[in-house]
This record gives sequence, C-alpha cells and structure tokens, in this order.
Amino acid sequence: MMTTIHHHPDDEWLLGLAAGRLDSGAALVVGAHVEGCAHCRARVAGFESVGGALLETLEPALLAPESLARTLSRLDAVPTPRTAPARQPTPKPPLPPGIAWPRVMQDCGVTRWRWLGPGMYWSRATLPHDSAANVFLLRIGAGKCLPRHTHSEVELTQVLCGAFDDGRATFAQGDFDATDGTIRHQPVVHAGAECICLASVRGKVLFDGTVARVLGAMVGM
Amino acid sequence: MDIARRLRPAGPGSHPRRARSPGLSIVTVEGDRGAMPTSDELTELMRAVATQRDRPAFALLFKHFAPRLKTYLVRGGSSESEAEDFAQEAMVSVWRKAASFDPERAQVSTWIFTIARNLRIDRQRRGAHGQEVSDDEALDAAVDTSPAPDERLATLRRDSDIHHALAQLTPEQALIVRLSFFDEHPHARIASELQIPLGTVKSRIRLAVTHLRRLLGPHE
Repeated sequence: MMTTIHHHPDDEWLLGLAAGRLDSGAALVVGAHVEGCAHCRARVAGFESVGGALLETLEPALLAPESLARTLSRLDAVPTPRTAPARQPTPKPPLPPGIAWPRVMQDCGVTRWRWLGPGMYWSRATLPHDSAANVFLLRIGAGKCLPRHTHSEVELTQVLCGAFDDGRATFAQGDFDATDGTIRHQPVVHAGAECICLASVRGKVLFDGTVARVLGAMVGM
Repeated sequence: MDIARRLRPAGPGSHPRRARSPGLSIVTVEGDRGAMPTSDELTELMRAVATQRDRPAFALLFKHFAPRLKTYLVRGGSSESEAEDFAQEAMVSVWRKAASFDPERAQVSTWIFTIARNLRIDRQRRGAHGQEVSDDEALDAAVDTSPAPDERLATLRRDSDIHHALAQLTPEQALIVRLSFFDEHPHARIASELQIPLGTVKSRIRLAVTHLRRLLGPHE
C-alpha cells in the first residue's frame, strides 16, 4: 500500500544509522522507517558516501608485518556461498492484512499480544544480540487512547499501520516520531482502524495516573 | 590500459612508480599520498577482484584500505591487536562479497565503509554477549539501507561532490561530522574539542548534520 510519509527521522538519526553509531533499539526503529521510505534511504546513502570519503581521509595505521600475507592466506579458507535456504524469520504474531513485519525485525523475537487495557495490547520485541534493548509494540484499537505520559529520555516510534493523533500532529502508517521529556502527550488512535507501533525506549515511559503507572511498571516499559 | 597492472607494486617487467624500501611495500606512508588511487582506479581494482578473483588487485585494495580500517577501529576505542584483526577480517569480507559490489550504486570507499561498519557492529555484539554472529545476511539486514533498483543511480554520489560538500562545512562542523562517524564517545569528545558544555553538543551536531545534508541535497 502506498502511503505518504509526513514524519521522518531527523538527520542526526539518519547519520547515526549510516555511521553505525545508534544503539540497537534505535537502529531497529530508525531502520524500520528507512526501509519503507525512499526519501530517507537517499539521505542515508548520502551519509554513507560521506563515511566512505572520510574513511579515505583517515590517517593510515601501521599494519603488522604479516598482515597482507595472513589476509591472503585467509582468502583460501573462504567458504563457497551458502547454498542452504535463507533463514526463516522468527515467528511473530499476526498483523492486519496487507501489513508486513519490517525486514530489520526478521531475527527479533516478538511475543504474542498481551492485554494492556480495553482495546489495548502490547508485545515485547527481543533483539537477537542485545537483551537489554527496550523495544516493544503497541496495538491500540480504533478510537482508543493511551494514558497521558512523557519519557525520561527518548522514545522512538515507527507507525506500522493505522494512525494516531497526539495533539502535536497526526502520525500514520510509515511515519516516525522521536519524543523525549519535553513532550507530554496522549496519543489517540483514529477511528476506523487499529494502530500498531514499533517503539524503542531509552529510559522509562512515565505515565501520569497511578493505575497507568502500575500498568507501565508491570509491562516494563 | 590495465589499471590493476599499472598500480601493481613493482615486479618483473614493470616499473616502480617510486622508489620504496621493501619493508614498506604494504604500508602507506605520508610521502605516499600522491600515489593515492583515484576512485575510478579503485573501481577497476574491485571489478578485477569480483570478476577475476585477482589477488594482486586485492593486494592493492588492501594496501589502500586496511591501514585506514585499522585506524577506524582504533579511533573507536579498540586495541591495536583488535584493530589489526578487524582490518584483516574486513578485507576478507571485501574479497568474499566482491560480487555484490555495484559501481552504479556506490563508490568503492562507500561500499567498503558499509562493510566495515556492519562488521564493527557485529563484533560489538559478539563481544558484549559472547555469541557468534556468523550469518552475514542477517547482519546486513540489521542495517539494510540498500536502495531499490530504480533508486540506484539517484543515490550514487561522486567523490568530488562529497569532497565539495565536506569542504563547505565550517572547520567546527567538519570536526563534528568526523567525530560522529569515528569517535568512541562522540558527544563527550565534541564537548571537549570545542570546549562547549555537554548539554549544547546535541544542537551543534544537529546544525552540522543538517548543513551537511543540505550540501548533499541535490541528489534527493
């Protein structure tokens, strides 16, 4: 489905992805955006070209005397390209028809949908090589709203389907959002379709109400 | 003319481009700067590696890139021996993945940078969790920014355009961009290099990166 993307990651996120300097949770969410956004892919490609140009300007280090010989000898040990079938993506809960899991999530574990509140579900995503990354999915029914909250540090969100409005703007399928402690918001999902978001949080999500706080603590957001 | 042959180190029947002490044959020294291969020459070398598995061409790519890949890791906080091992492993990856190099999509330096970047992330993960991450495809999927086929021409940037863009940054912005790519703790380092409070680093980075992107802009 072709959708117009209105909200993109800022240049710093895209440069961070190109430089390989984002933490794994952020790299996943920004990566999920970029793979579906030609505009951002072009920007990342531009930053990668800068990385290549800067690599060439790095002062050459002195190599070990046997460096080339050792590398050449390793070329012989190079395995022939794998003929085994491509690895199967990890099992994940179903998404609405026409919506696919981002390719960057192919090796992530994703739990089944767990009840969070009326019409609200969440699921934890586990990254294969970073068990500490705090990445989760929210699936909120049409017309429902999340409790008002802010963030202790930074939260990155990529909308996989549906749309929500949080008073600042509308975020729809393919849109990206970065929020921090300066933003206190209450996302409301548009009527008509549920909304599923992929989110990575550094720090904590801080809910306003006691019940919401307890819920938040329970699911470990 | 065969560019790989022309750039090849002195051997029987060829003329050395410059006198070089034998022990330094694979080490790029300051005086060697003038002999830096052009990006077209690097492309020819990569083609020779990809299509003919040309080892002398590979050796020349090694001579150019391996010392810089080593610096890349050292700047990122790795030890000398880790960085040495990394440079070798990255160049083995270059050999192994040569067939996927597409000169219509990226410069050699860009392509090698992305291989090195992915390998560095891979090693960080292995180091942190003691697990073997052996599947290159899985790793590449982790930072998959490859353009769709119809975008390829649009994303290829000429070296001269990139250097032109970098040259237009202020020295401070150029430093910020460089540290953002290569430093282990870019924020702290930028704060100390520019003698500014850590709290203001983010906005400086933002300005620098936005300026850089605008300079790269016409390709979008």
